[in-house]
Amino acid sequence: MTTREIDGIRLEQVREYVWEIPQEGEMRVPARVLASEALLDEIGDDKTLQQLKNATHLPGMTDHAICMPDGHQGYGFPVGGVGATDAENGCISPGAVGYDINCGVRMMRTNLTYDDVQGREEELVEALFANVPSGLGGGGVVDGDKETIEGVLERGVDWALEAGWAVPADLEHCEDEGRRPDADPSAVSQKAKDRGKNQLGSLGSGNHFLEIQRVTDIYRDDVADAYGLEPDQIVVLIHCGSRGLGHQTCTDYLRKIEKEHGDLLDSLPDKELAAAPAGSELAEAYYGAMCACINFAWVNRQLIMHRVRQVFARVFDRSWESMDMHLLYDVAHNIAKKEVHEVGADDEERELYVHRKGATRAFPAGHPEVPAAYRDVGQPIIIPGSMGAGSYVLRGGESSLDLTFGSTAHGAGRLMSRTQAKQEFWGETVQDELREQNQVYVKAQSGATVAEEAPGVYKDVDEVVRVSDALGIGDKVARTYPVCNIKG
Amino acid sequence: MSYELRPHTADVAVAATGATLGETFAAAGDGLAAATCDDIPETGERFSLTVRAEGLEALLFDYLDQLIYERDVRGVLPVANEATVREAGAEWMIEASARGVPFADISARDVKAVTYSEMRIEETESGWDAYVVLDV
Repeated sequence: MTTREIDGIRLEQVREYVWEIPQEGEMRVPARVLASEALLDEIGDDKTLQQLKNATHLPGMTDHAICMPDGHQGYGFPVGGVGATDAENGCISPGAVGYDINCGVRMMRTNLTYDDVQGREEELVEALFANVPSGLGGGGVVDGDKETIEGVLERGVDWALEAGWAVPADLEHCEDEGRRPDADPSAVSQKAKDRGKNQLGSLGSGNHFLEIQRVTDIYRDDVADAYGLEPDQIVVLIHCGSRGLGHQTCTDYLRKIEKEHGDLLDSLPDKELAAAPAGSELAEAYYGAMCACINFAWVNRQLIMHRVRQVFARVFDRSWESMDMHLLYDVAHNIAKKEVHEVGADDEERELYVHRKGATRAFPAGHPEVPAAYRDVGQPIIIPGSMGAGSYVLRGGESSLDLTFGSTAHGAGRLMSRTQAKQEFWGETVQDELREQNQVYVKAQSGATVAEEAPGVYKDVDEVVRVSDALGIGDKVARTYPVCNIKG
Repeated sequence: MSYELRPHTADVAVAATGATLGETFAAAGDGLAAATCDDIPETGERFSLTVRAEGLEALLFDYLDQLIYERDVRGVLPVANEATVREAGAEWMIEASARGVPFADISARDVKAVTYSEMRIEETESGWDAYVVLDV
């Protein structure tokens, strides 16, 4: 058996790309890392492995705590972490969801080709930048009064449909049809609602962005066909989350848990793993609040997408419908969800809180929770890459339910800190090089953001996707490459 | 009082130091502003805030969280922070003020939240040190 030892943590190779940290001490289950040797070297460079070990201490943790191929250090629970806890006797952990609840990605198709866009990149990037709020204090697409915020939290994309910001097909191509039925807006604090009301329909900053992309490669013709993707086609990718409303909700519940469940917190190796015992009032309240934030984030991405339709209609002087601008799919990658999985040696069916923090649901063909439009081929998965590397569309793989509670990676994963990135890269130089060498047009509120998000600060997304495909948890369908990128 | 931004793979950390707890906490607040914006102009009106919590770490967490809240709701970046920290019965209390630079005057990015990850507050020979990781 191949073993590796990294900073005193021993990993045993179970099979190709699957490494196990055996259970010891206070660990409730073993931990697993899904990675090639090259990715494992990068994962071992920071505190990811220790954080993964710590995650196994959460009550009710089932089978394994798992690190995806793009895993990196977070706070408490690693980014790229999947942990399923028993929904009856375990816990739910806001720390294992993350501050940006339902941070996620959606992709919109068009019937335009790269030829239609070439030569108009500057005009498009300027129009998008002027019309899609980004950065700090840029406002939102919609002014959120009290009634609006309550409606969004309660009804998700149903609210957007009623308000004229969505069409029925948008709901059919979103997880849960864009509405979490367990949402409880009354469990979201006034403070969180205050922060959210000026940010409804806004990108934010950091690694969030909006990109016009062209499809460069198709790997599985039948699936690409079902997803409506073909070579040279223009698509739009939107990456953002629940903004200040979600961040505040996570913060609020971390503090409530600290005050009410101090005993449980004291038994955990990291305060950021804060968890509420399953069945407790606080667990129910957090779940209801988190589901409301999920709705908010879906509406946030929906408003931005619909605004992009309007921008395209103006720039190309045609209706968006005539450009076939339809949602392909929307994936969440910071979320906890009650799901039923077969667990243990005897494949017993159990209800679990599946925490995916920097990980994407990846249900295979035939799963009843995959939208009808894609049930025959598997759930679409969108893996955003850096501005210089492109992104991938995958489909849920046959092995995902056995290996990862139906999950795969969520992106390239950072390699370098933001402070180091700003020392190594200069925003304007990155922008110029992308334009001159890669024909990628970038516009950002802050030059520092461009430096911090330079292609060189990310892991090799190709390698992340190769491992996901080889493991059969998320299969490669198509690759896209940026044409225009706007960010905060 | 002073602060330094330190590297962290996904986020940004602030190491703050001061002669008193109040100075150290205010320096952490200035670190939060520096993680948001590189060039801070001399504009904006001062405002005050008071926060209470059950312990020192909780107080630093809640103070920075309140600055983020004030930032989003007032539409200003809190800079030039000043603060005093004292025990108030069974709790700790911070009485603070900041100058709120209007968003219109700056090019800034969002810091999402304060975290407890690796948080440290330590008394030293010359005062107090604090370390806090921010989610960017």
